[in-house]
Amino acid sequence: MRFEEQLVELLPRLRRFARGLAGSAGDADDLCQAAIERALKSRDQWQNGTRLDSWMYRITRNLWIDERRAAGRRGVHTPIDDAITQIAGDGAAEVEAGALRGDVDGAMARLPDEQREVVMLVLVEGYAYREAAAILEVPIGTVTSRLARGRETLMHLLGEAA
Amino acid sequence: MTFDPATVAAFVDGELDDLTARRIAREAENDPALAAEIARHRVLKARLTAHFAPIAEEEPPQRLRALLVDDRVDTSLADRREARRARFAPIHWGAIAASLVLGLTIGLRPWMPAAGVVDANGALVASGTLAEALDTQLASNQPADAAVRIGLSFRDETGRYCRSFEGDGLAGIGCREGSRWTLERTLRGETRPAYRQAASGDLAADAAAMMAGAPLDAAAERVARDKGWAD
Repeated sequence: MRFEEQLVELLPRLRRFARGLAGSAGDADDLCQAAIERALKSRDQWQNGTRLDSWMYRITRNLWIDERRAAGRRGVHTPIDDAITQIAGDGAAEVEAGALRGDVDGAMARLPDEQREVVMLVLVEGYAYREAAAILEVPIGTVTSRLARGRETLMHLLGEAA
Repeated sequence: MTFDPATVAAFVDGELDDLTARRIAREAENDPALAAEIARHRVLKARLTAHFAPIAEEEPPQRLRALLVDDRVDTSLADRREARRARFAPIHWGAIAASLVLGLTIGLRPWMPAAGVVDANGALVASGTLAEALDTQLASNQPADAAVRIGLSFRDETGRYCRSFEGDGLAGIGCREGSRWTLERTLRGETRPAYRQAASGDLAADAAAMMAGAPLDAAAERVARDKGWAD
């Protein structure tokens, strides 16, 4: 199958992943567009026979991280919020958790970036820990610890009975 | 609970070796705290999957497709849609299977075509002897040599009647939708007793996660059957 055809086939999943990272539909499709353009430009770097999906997810994720860092440098407020992970006994966080019950987007947006990407890859996209670690270029132990923290926060925000 | 949280999470993510996974499934049968922890993880996973699944089923916007496809050679919009639908079918099915997440082991033990199951527009539905057993057989009163054994009958959180079953070729959980049983959890049945026991452990844990309230007792099971599994 042609390179472009494989990308077309991957597109629905890639949009889902991008939506989880970026939050809004518009930002997600901008991210996909940038990722596709990057992939077409650097297609020589993809080795036929290796997994195109992992390669595309890595490109998408790296573009997103770059964009987040650039936004951070420009002083754009980003909802990276470590406070929410220190939830035990915190009255304000309890109230917030109550307000977010049922709001998956809202809860995801409150995860730190490095937890959100792991949650998306493993829990939504269904990658094995090992594959997620390869996409993110981090050790497996990093994947499992970020995943554990992200899960706890989501369970708390969405309610135990989710 | 003798398993640490990371192990329970790895169990739900299908990351454990078979032996450890079986031990957890078995222990969850007699350890409500462990079963609840597993259920908590599954519910979160199911919620996330269900929330994001529709995005992967949307038609990608033209501005993205246009980067990859020269649509001028396509014959018609209808043809393209048809072709795309056909190509995305496996993804669609994956989303459904995942959103039902009844099963962490779906990936480990891919469902094999088995007698008693038909594919109805992407949903697996019981047929033949399996459908008949789910319709009529009472767990409290089934022949020792029954081809399909019914395990638990219960209502899930949406109010449907669901029943776990085990046969030689296939085991799983069927839930009543209209006049048919949709299979929400399937794994290959095993004839060897040790495996059968492990499978029933998995199923019991899954049933516990799906269940709203307690399983039906023998009397309630009979009443539900006599009413045709409808309210």
